[in-house]
Amino acid sequence: MTDDTTPMTDGGTDQQARTDGGPPATVPPDDETPTWSERKEHTQGLAQLTYQYFERSRREDEDLRTESTYVERDVLGFPTWPHETLRNLAITSFFVGMIILVSAILPPHFGDPANPGSTPAIILPDWYLYWSFGLLKLDPLNPDLAVLGGNIVMSNELLGIVAHGIIFGVITLVPFLNKGSARRPVEQPFWAAVGAAGVTLSFTLAALAIQNFFPFQLELIVSLTFLLPVVAGVLTYAVLKTMREGYMYDLNRRYYMLRPPK
Amino acid sequence: MSLKKQDEMDHNAWLKTQDLTVIETVFLTTLIWLDKRLRIVDYLELLETMYYRANLQMPKSHTEQYDLDNKFWYWYPLYSLGSLSIIAYLVAAVSGALLGFYYAPSTAGAVAQGDPTAAYDSLVTIMTDVQFGFMLRGIHRWSAQFMVAAVFLHMLRVYFTGSYKEPREVNWVLGIVLIGLTLLFGFSGYVLPWKQLSFWAAQIGVEMALATPLVGEWAAQLLFGGFTLGQATLVRMYILHVFVLPFVVTGLIALHVGIVWVQGIAEPH
Repeated sequence: MTDDTTPMTDGGTDQQARTDGGPPATVPPDDETPTWSERKEHTQGLAQLTYQYFERSRREDEDLRTESTYVERDVLGFPTWPHETLRNLAITSFFVGMIILVSAILPPHFGDPANPGSTPAIILPDWYLYWSFGLLKLDPLNPDLAVLGGNIVMSNELLGIVAHGIIFGVITLVPFLNKGSARRPVEQPFWAAVGAAGVTLSFTLAALAIQNFFPFQLELIVSLTFLLPVVAGVLTYAVLKTMREGYMYDLNRRYYMLRPPK
Repeated sequence: MSLKKQDEMDHNAWLKTQDLTVIETVFLTTLIWLDKRLRIVDYLELLETMYYRANLQMPKSHTEQYDLDNKFWYWYPLYSLGSLSIIAYLVAAVSGALLGFYYAPSTAGAVAQGDPTAAYDSLVTIMTDVQFGFMLRGIHRWSAQFMVAAVFLHMLRVYFTGSYKEPREVNWVLGIVLIGLTLLFGFSGYVLPWKQLSFWAAQIGVEMALATPLVGEWAAQLLFGGFTLGQATLVRMYILHVFVLPFVVTGLIALHVGIVWVQGIAEPH
């Protein structure tokens, strides 16, 4: 092996003969590299605000971590392999198997070819769009919305589309209206009642879409469409409010068993 | 001055000092050859990391930490609805790709109104002539139904367990977009066989679009290819169903799951 300092036959060494400047020198960190706080001071405007916020949130994270009461133990849970993986494989296989089984015993319907010339007596989308189709059948409601001398404000189709917008809008707004750490329906009977009313509304709207199948007056069906969700909501609220008493009693009892009052 | 190429790591010399079987020698030689060209070692390190990740233990969940398991295990199946909808989506994707081999998005071939079109005939072919074609269509249709059902139930679960709350609003909104796209997926697929119900469902779609002020006519032309249904409608629904929506929905699902990954599952209290 040769090394850089061994004299070669011409008397010089590899070190002297180098033309590439030698190995890269390690650059020690010097004062010219700005620290984060220096960068923060140098910048201005939005960048400065960003640095300030990052510093604050980092401090907050640290505080939370030091205050945390999270208890570690030797075995934290099931390992990914094999427990979680096998469980997921089992669930997947079962579910795919169910799809194949159902499609084997319930073959899809296949009707006549499209004919623009003859409207079928019953037009229906797939079941998951029944609620949407029901929203298009709100025209008995439309005259009630008239404000200007009995003229309807919008066409029946537009009413249905506006109803779609309202429903999607309300669902979108939910997380911006309901905040906090409550998770169980018992803890917030009102929001559970709203959810129950929404679920019921989707079913009653679906029933409105297939109104021909019900031997009632159309007016009754339309009234029930909007009455039943309210009833379901009130019922849910009452039940959960009642449950909450017992639930809180139970929680309090457990609390006082753990920490008996002096 | 030495111009000889210096090999700091003389792997071949190292190989000779080892007492290796033929298989090991061949394996290592191949590995070294590939590594010199492709830097496989870097990827092996990634694999190693993944190996240790796979053997990681899941952190203690909220329910375990507060010993709520005895009360909550029976809710756990509801927490798999999101992944079940993804599984159904994958099944629909595979069976749909196979159906695509035989389907023709064309209204040609109808002499008079109400005659079978090429699209309708291709479905008849799939259901009667193609081996397992009837089953294939059944699986595609039912996996779509399962997917929509799982998506709806998933939304209900998220609502009633309050999982949409404060840091997770974005994912809730993203989920609503995904539900809308899932319904559009179903609708566009419903139109493709070009049977009576497909045609009149699309007719209702056009009428809804036309009733919308300002953007309605534009939307009708974009989605349905005009104000009356025909070849353009079928092709647009087809492209929507097999090209646009798959990319968009897959991307959004990845984002949806990615956000859950980053934010962590909202554990029940």
